Amino acid sequence: MAIQAWRIKDRYYRLIGSRCQECRTEFFPPVYTCRHCGSEIIKDQEMPKEGKIMTYTRLHEPLPGFEAQAPFYLAVVMLDNGARVLTQVVDSPDESVKTGARVRATVRRAKVDGDSGQIIYGYKFIVIS
Amino acid sequence: MPKSKVYITSVGFTKIDDHWEKSLLDLAVEAARGAMKGTPKVRPQQIFVGNMFSAVGAGQEHLGALLASALGLVGVPALKVESASSSGGSAFNVAYSLVKSGALDSALVVGVEKMRDLETEEVSQAVAMAESAEYTQFVGASFAALNGLLARYYMEQLDVSRDELSSIPVIDHANAVNAEHAQFRRAITPDAVSRSSMVADPLRLFDCAPIGDGAAAVLLVSDRAASGAKKKMAEVLGGRIATNEFSVYQREDMLDFNATREAFKGAMAQAGLSTRRLGFAEVHDAFSVVGALSLEAMGFSKRGRGSKDAKEGKYNMGSEFPINTFGGLKARGNPIGATGVYQIAEAFLQLTGQAGKNQVEDADYGITHNVGGVDTTSVVHVFGRAT
Repeated sequence: MAIQAWRIKDRYYRLIGSRCQECRTEFFPPVYTCRHCGSEIIKDQEMPKEGKIMTYTRLHEPLPGFEAQAPFYLAVVMLDNGARVLTQVVDSPDESVKTGARVRATVRRAKVDGDSGQIIYGYKFIVIS
Repeated sequence: MPKSKVYITSVGFTKIDDHWEKSLLDLAVEAARGAMKGTPKVRPQQIFVGNMFSAVGAGQEHLGALLASALGLVGVPALKVESASSSGGSAFNVAYSLVKSGALDSALVVGVEKMRDLETEEVSQAVAMAESAEYTQFVGASFAALNGLLARYYMEQLDVSRDELSSIPVIDHANAVNAEHAQFRRAITPDAVSRSSMVADPLRLFDCAPIGDGAAAVLLVSDRAASGAKKKMAEVLGGRIATNEFSVYQREDMLDFNATREAFKGAMAQAGLSTRRLGFAEVHDAFSVVGALSLEAMGFSKRGRGSKDAKEGKYNMGSEFPINTFGGLKARGNPIGATGVYQIAEAFLQLTGQAGKNQVEDADYGITHNVGGVDTTSVVHVFGRAT
């Protein structure tokens, strides 16, 4: 897990996704083939850091490594460029986590790697309105 | 090679349960022997094992050869087929395609999953492997969480109520009461669903298929091999696997189960049947919302109407078109890689008049629908009475 996360740390820290060089559609996570036009000419692109919640859930039965955080919010966020991110929503009052709420990306501790104890960081989102 | 008709001559399965005393291989052998004993004259030419996470659940891979050897079939080619929770359906589809093509005259398909040796959290982790390790598991999203996100979207966008969503689990439990192999054989009310503990808001425990151990097997034969069998048989009339955009949250319309639509259309076209000829369906309702969206994708219900139609009785036993006639994933149970083979064994029982108290009267045709991920891989097969 630690090496797998290290390899794509820029994606986790700075939301580096993809931009199709032909139709200009942007994606997060990155893609190999444009989902919109099928082009394979894809370059890395930093995503905008704000968007809105399309749908959300509050998870009560977490995966191993996430027990201390449960229950926590997960949401599908549509970024302002149209790319979609599956993310935790943190540091936000319960009543603010709603469909349509505006959110902003931040970096937080994601999980502690089971084998090495290494702390892995990644994006989470906060409700801003 | 000549194209052959394809028949199922016999099936075998274990009860789905917490099988503390039995191993992965114990279960697979029990189901396989059940199917083979039903057709003693046929020796399978190849074995296909449907399984998702034996590596995690039992520290075991190489299931094909392991099972062949255990069955005294050393020398017979044997493979594991994996496509998450549609592994059983996919294994069957590979076997069916090879028998249909004329490459094989007989095949044994065995679906098996051992879940209960793991802690509940470990099961969640194993099932989550159906989704992206780097971007879905990484944020802590279990498979239930993805379905929770989808359920809220479905309810908010298409105005579906809590009680409507509960209607498919209620049907499953009603149908499992008389199903001896089912994991949970008691009826429940919509109230019981809406009062059960929260798993991934708005999904509650009774929206979600349970954890259980089980194995199911079916024996497939070509028309050449069938002529000696002289048994009650079911004919496999069509089958198709389709895939969708991998992660549900990346799809332009999250509520469109495109893989299920395409698999259903393809399988029905092969069978040359129109929907109204179908007498029942075994639908992959790992979560209540998945059952509803699948009924919509296959055109049995209009968009947004899957749960509502279920609540109005359209899919009950005794209706024109019952679903999940032995309890579906929620009540019969969902031993992941085995589920698709259980569905097919159940369709066989229906079409050969061996369904007992769960018999659907006058059904000439039925389908099975098995899904991996959230409609990421969908596998549909069409069956008929053998004539």
